[in-house]
Formats: sequence, structure tokens, C-alpha cells
Amino acid sequence: MADAHHDELGAHISPLQTYFAVFGALLVFTVLTYAVSLADLGPFAFPIAMVVAFCKAFLVATFFMHLKYDERFNVVVFVSSLFFVSVFAFFTIIDVTGRGALRPEEGYYVFQEELDAIAAMEAAAAAEEATAAGEEEAEADDDDH
Amino acid sequence: MGHAADHAHSGHSPFFQHHFIDMRQQASSAKLGMWLFLAQEVLFFSVLFMAYFIFRTLYPETWLVAHYKLDAALGGLNTVVLLFSSLTMALAVRAAQVNAKKQQVIMLAVTIACAFVFLVVKYFEYMSKIGKGLLPGNLYSYSGDIPGAPELFFTVYFCMTGLHGIHVVAGIIVLFWLLIRAGKGHFNSGYYSPMENVGLYWHLVDLVWIFLFPLLYLVK
Amino acid sequence: MTASTIETAGHGEAHGAEEPSYLAAKKGLMSWIFTVDHKRIGVMYLASIGLFFLIGGLLALGVRTMLLNPEGVNIFGADNPAQYKDWYNQVFTLHGAIMVFLVIVPSIPASLGNFLLPLQLGAKDVAFPKLNLASFHIYFVGSLFMIYAILSHSLDTGWTFYTPYSTTTSTSVIAATFGAFILGFSSIFTGLNFIVTVHKMRAPGLTWDRLPLLIWGLYATSVIQVLATPVVAITLLLLILERTIGIGIFDPTLGGDPVLYQHFFWFYSHPVVYVMILPAFGVISDMITAHSRKAIFGYKAIAASSVAIAFIGFLVWGHHMFVSGQSPIAATVFSFLTFAVAVPTAIKVFSWVATLYGGSIKFTAPMWYVYAFLFLFTIGGLTGIYLGALSVDVHLHDTYFVVAHFHYVMMGGTFFAFIGAIHHWWPKMFGKMYNETLAKVACFLSFTGFNLTFFSQFIMGAQGMPRRYATYAAEFQAYHVASTIGSYILAAGLFTSLFVMIHSLLKGEKAPQNPWNAVSLEWETTSPPIEHNFHGTPVVTHGPYDFPEIDESQATGHH
Repeated sequence: MADAHHDELGAHISPLQTYFAVFGALLVFTVLTYAVSLADLGPFAFPIAMVVAFCKAFLVATFFMHLKYDERFNVVVFVSSLFFVSVFAFFTIIDVTGRGALRPEEGYYVFQEELDAIAAMEAAAAAEEATAAGEEEAEADDDDH
Repeated sequence: MGHAADHAHSGHSPFFQHHFIDMRQQASSAKLGMWLFLAQEVLFFSVLFMAYFIFRTLYPETWLVAHYKLDAALGGLNTVVLLFSSLTMALAVRAAQVNAKKQQVIMLAVTIACAFVFLVVKYFEYMSKIGKGLLPGNLYSYSGDIPGAPELFFTVYFCMTGLHGIHVVAGIIVLFWLLIRAGKGHFNSGYYSPMENVGLYWHLVDLVWIFLFPLLYLVK
Repeated sequence: MTASTIETAGHGEAHGAEEPSYLAAKKGLMSWIFTVDHKRIGVMYLASIGLFFLIGGLLALGVRTMLLNPEGVNIFGADNPAQYKDWYNQVFTLHGAIMVFLVIVPSIPASLGNFLLPLQLGAKDVAFPKLNLASFHIYFVGSLFMIYAILSHSLDTGWTFYTPYSTTTSTSVIAATFGAFILGFSSIFTGLNFIVTVHKMRAPGLTWDRLPLLIWGLYATSVIQVLATPVVAITLLLLILERTIGIGIFDPTLGGDPVLYQHFFWFYSHPVVYVMILPAFGVISDMITAHSRKAIFGYKAIAASSVAIAFIGFLVWGHHMFVSGQSPIAATVFSFLTFAVAVPTAIKVFSWVATLYGGSIKFTAPMWYVYAFLFLFTIGGLTGIYLGALSVDVHLHDTYFVVAHFHYVMMGGTFFAFIGAIHHWWPKMFGKMYNETLAKVACFLSFTGFNLTFFSQFIMGAQGMPRRYATYAAEFQAYHVASTIGSYILAAGLFTSLFVMIHSLLKGEKAPQNPWNAVSLEWETTSPPIEHNFHGTPVVTHGPYDFPEIDESQATGHH
């Protein structure tokens, strides 16, 4: 069963050049990752860094892990794990980002409207105190005279 | 299927397990088993990636400032070391496929050496953090000023790299076992499942680091 | 027409000689502790699960007895009301933790699944027999941690270990969660083993559309076990780190989020309820066909629905968190998706009922349990829809309505199916028959007791009786008393079942190879099977429910 490109079990043997080429590409992508972090790409920096990381992951999975020449079901197994991670991430992030502003110093979450309402109340209370203090001083001044 | 054909497929390797029909079924089953194990490893790490993304979203300023406390050069070095170890691991498996016993041993030895280099670099990184008090949660005692929730950044950092490091240590142990078996000439073109499957595990360890590096060290 | 052909391909076994059964093949304790025979491993799991069910069940009787009186019933001799409530928390927590982690999750897959999967596939064993043994040993080690937790500082957090209480209480949270962590790996490895076995080791002619539906159920279960369990494993590790060094991800004072724990926890713990029920669905399909001697209605629909339930089950975990502070957007999406999971489930129930129609039904003990299942699971499933409705759940969350719902599905569903299945496959596993009359008496007692116990809980839950409360308002006492009396009747039924099984082992009459004349592969070999399952490799030429009379009676003959 074995020949130049298959072993005794019928599995594909990748030529050495393939492995070295993939390693070279991985090094290039690593340098690219570093370069992306140094350049100022604003909001695109994170997505681009992730795309580069996915390219590296794709190369490792396809060639080093042999998925290109492997049974289709092994690919399904791996991809489905990634799929369920995305499901996990998607719903959890919908929840966490949908809750409102975080006030760590008070240790709980409130909604932005509540924050604004609290701020308004505090401002109103402070203003009242100031006027009340001002009136008292005016009275005290009056008493002094 | 006649008796003669049976023996041709199942009789050769001393490592054939008799609840299987032949070596191909055995190898194919072992590989599927390892892929399923890798799938659960992906889900295992995913929780920490989740924690990373959630706290990064909630405390972006913390992430921007705190990550500079990590040494990107050392992280980059470790990335290259692991990528190289993935190459040598793949070459070790290939050596088994082409019946090259000496190559197997050399490649496995280099892979193990790379893994040790990785851990040594990690050791120095960790020592530096501990020295400055850049520790997780309640252990955090850094005197400098990092806005938001730096305790959480370092919790995420130590949990993710720590869990990854534990997997590297486990990998080293298994690689040593492989090295001994390869030295004894157990693996050849008709039987190399352990080599192949440990290789898959090792590539996953590499894959996790491929993401950890930019996420932790190169936040932008 | 013969059922299937056993070819004598293989390694030339002497099929003329009388080969001993797997029970007699090797002797001595070591031959069991170090066995790699899936059948022995299944039997060991069965015994362990039975033991932990007994412990968990006694704890349940403890809970119910303590609730007879609104002020509590001091059966453990607490010194004061505060200590009494602490102890009450421990009793229900331990009941839940033992039942979930040590009993129901492994229940059917680890015991019957291990025993039957290779047999139904025509294989000699699972793909990785040593890994299978490791799974059992890991289960044993995990259970030791749980036992240690019970005996040291106990556990009072509820089986759900919610933060911040679990990170601050002084009970043995670390031992228990570490035990659960270890048990998780037992589950993962079993699932992994089953998936590979089903993919790679089916007998010749056993195509995917000829698999018994138990296999489909176990397959879907295994997928969930492999993908969901690691999430709770790492979550519990994080909980341990939070308790020990205070890493802060669940701690608001450090910027963390306690609700995040709930997301991480329920991402596993919701799919795990499908791990609990899918094998039960599988055994029901196998039993309902054998005992009504009729091919299953809608084979493809039932097989596909198992996979669909497994898939959708991953998308709905937030319905446990409707009142935890979750964002309204997430809550709404989760509620909507929760309704979706009812569809494939209902398809199964309708298909089973349709299977009965026109069948030649025998009222055997397993069939009694099947009927009990259909009734109890339907109630449990429908009440799940009530709870899935966001606006309704706001009122029912943390009441006895929830407690009743999950006991109807987990116990009325899974456990009744499990006991029925034990009766159905008992002759295969042990070569003995059991006392049919007593088995039916047990079923009747269990069914009556169960309904009395838990239906009253639906009513009081809807009226506002909160769960996990040691004392309660006097208006609920009548319901609690009814529920407790029900629990004693249920216990009587279950003890009767236990007696039936032990009596069978000691004095049961020898079973024929195929007492139900079923046609799936496990019935093609001896009862109990020989160590290597079959003499030679079976070849499959028909489906798992193609009873010969059906083939003969259908003149047009299409399947």
C-alpha cells in the first residue's frame, strides 16, 4: 500500500518542502502580527490582528495537523468546537454589553438613565444646599449687624 | 474477507489491538478520539478567552495600559519557539511515516528542548511580574497606576498562560514517553498513531499560543 | 426469515465449545477492578449509581420530612433555628449534588450505555477499552472527593454553587467542586469513547439508518458530554481559585461579575439536562417497539430530533438566568430559543404514541415504565414551556414549580425510563428473569408516590412557595404534607424495585436468550453474553425494529 506519497496505512505523507514552506509563512505572519501592533490602525487593529492569527491557525491545522488530507469528519469535529465557542461568546457578550454602565466603585451595575437621574438629583440637592447655606449666611450676617 | 487477508492487515504490528478489525481501523479510531479530545480542549480554553473578551470590553483602558507591563519581545520569542517546535513535531511524525527512526528521535528531542525553552522564558516572565506585584485579583500589589481593573487583567493573564503552561508541561511528559518508544523502534510506516496523536495535541498547544500572544501582549 | 447472519469470520474461535459468560469468564475482585470488558464496567457503574441513588434518595426523604411542619422538623437535632436552617441547606444541597453529578448524569450512558453500545453495534468492545476503565476509576475518585466533602464541612450552596455565596461560605466547596471537576472527565471520556465506537466499529451492514434509536440517543448525548463538560470543568476551577486566592472574575469589588459565573455554569448545566434525557428517549424507543412488537413510527424523525435537541440545547442556557440581572435583550432571545427545543421533543412523543397504534402490546413491567414515562415526561416537558416564557418565569423562578418541573423530567422521565430499561435488559445482563408481579407493584407504587410528591409542588409553587426554604408560611403546609407522604410511597416503590433486582440475582429463574423476541443485535447473542460478545462477526441485513411478522404481513412489503 505504501508509495512515495502514502505510508503503509494509506495516509498521505507531506513532502518536506511543504512543512518548511508552512513554517516560513508562519514566521512571516508572526512578524506581520507584531507590525500590525506597532502601526496605528485605529479600530481596525484588533480585527486585523485576529485575521492574521486565524491565518496562522489555519496553516497549522491544515498542514501540520494534516486536516487537508484527513477524513472529513475530523474537520467537522474541530470546526464544530469553534462553532460552539462562538455561540457561547455571542450570547454572553450580548448579555454583558446590553446591561448598562458599570460602577465598580459601588460594585453594581446601573443603566445610563439611572446614572443620569442620580447625577441630576445630586446636582439639584447640591444646588439646594448652596441656596440654603447662602440664606443662612445672609441671616447670620443680618443677626450680626 | 479470507483468513490470509486478515493476517496481512492485522498480524504485523505487535501493537495491534484485537477488538479492532485491522490497523487502519485502529489508527483511524485513535485519530478521531484525539480530535474529539482536542475539541473538548478548545471548549476548555474557551472560558478563559470569554473572560478575556468580556473584561477587555468592560475595561478597555485597563487593557491598553496594563499590557505594556508584559514583555512583548519575550512573548514573541516564545511564539517563534513554539512554532518551531510544531515544525519539528510534524517532522517527527513524517519520519515515522517514512521509517526513519533516527530522525524521529532527533525531532522529538528538539521538540522537547523547545518546550523547555518556552517554560524557562515563562519562568523569567512570571518572576518579573511577581517581583513587581503584578498579580491576579487579591494578590495584586503593584505600586504604579493602572486605571480600571488591573487585578482582572493579571488574573486573565496568569490564568490563560498558566493553563497553557500546564498543558506544555503535560506535553513534555508525553513527549518523553514518545521519545523512549521511538528510541526502541516502536513506530514505523504501519504504526505511528501515538506519534501522530501526540503531535495533534502539541499543535493545539501551539494554536492556543498563536492567539494568546497577540491578545495578551499586543493589545491595541 | 432469519434475523441476522452470524458469520464465522474472525480469529477461529471454537464456537462449538460452551464459552462462559462475561460474568464467569474471569474470577476474583482484581478481575473486576482491572477489567477492560465494557459489560463489567457497565455493571460496576450500575452498582455505584444505585448506591449513590440510595444515599441521595435518603437525603431527599430527609428534606421532605423536615418540611412536614412550617417551623421545620428537627430530625437531626439542631441546637437552634439558625443551625437548623444551615443543616437544611446542607441536606438539599447534598441531595442535589449527589443526584446530578453521581447519579443522573452517568445513569443510563455509563451503565446501560456501556453494556449495550458495543452489543447493539455488533462490536467486541468500545473503541478504547482501557480509557473506559479509566473513566470508571475517575468516577470513583471524583465520588471520593464528594464523600469527603460530605464528611468534612459539608456543602450548603445548592448544587449550582452560585457566587458570591460559594466563594465565601465556610463549607467544603473546594472538595465538592474539585470532585465535580474530576467527574466531568469521566463523562467526557465516556462520550469520546462512544462517538468513536459508533463511527468506526459498526458491524457490516449496520448503516446509520439501521442503528437502534438508543444508539442515536447515546451518540447525541456523547456529543454534548464532549463539548459542554469542559466549560463547567474550568468554571469550577476558576471558582476554586476565586475562593483560595481571590482572582476576582466573579467578585464585584475587584471589578468582576457574579452573573458571569452563571453564564459559565449554565452553558454546561443546561445541555447536561439533555445528557440526562436523551439516553432515556433512546431506551424508550427500544422498549416501546419490543413490547408493542411494532416498528418505530418515524425512525428518521426521532433520530434527527435527538441531534436537533443536542444542538438547540446549547443555545438556551440563559433561561436559568431570567431574574439574575441578565440584559433584557439576551433574556428575550433565550426565551424564544427555549420554545424551539420543545419541537423535536414533541416529535418524539407523538412518534411513540403513533408507534403504539396498531401494535401488539404486552403489559410487561418494562412497558408499565414506558407508559409511566410518557405520562410523567409529557407533564414535565410541558411545564418546561411555562418556565421558558420569560414573563411567567419571573413569577415562577425559585419556586416549587421549578422543583416539580425538573423532578418530573429528570426523575419521572429519565429515572423511570432507567428502571424500565434495567428490567428490559436485565435478562441480557444477568441471565435471570425477575418477579414480574412485584416489578409491576413497584412501578405502581413509584408512579403514585411520584405524582403525589411532585404534583402538589406544582400547585404550591404557582401559589408562591419558594424553593430552598427551611421554613414556610402555614398556608402551604397541606401541600407539603401531601408531598412528603408521596415521597414515602415513592420510596416504598423504589425499595420494592431494589428487592426485585436482588431477589432476581439470588433466586431468579434462568432467562432465555431473547425473552422479548426483539431483533436488535444484542439479542442475537447469549444472555448473559460471552466475554467477546459474539461468536464471529455479525452481519446486519435489516433494521432494528423489523419484526418478522411485519415483513410477512405486509404483502406490498415496502419499508
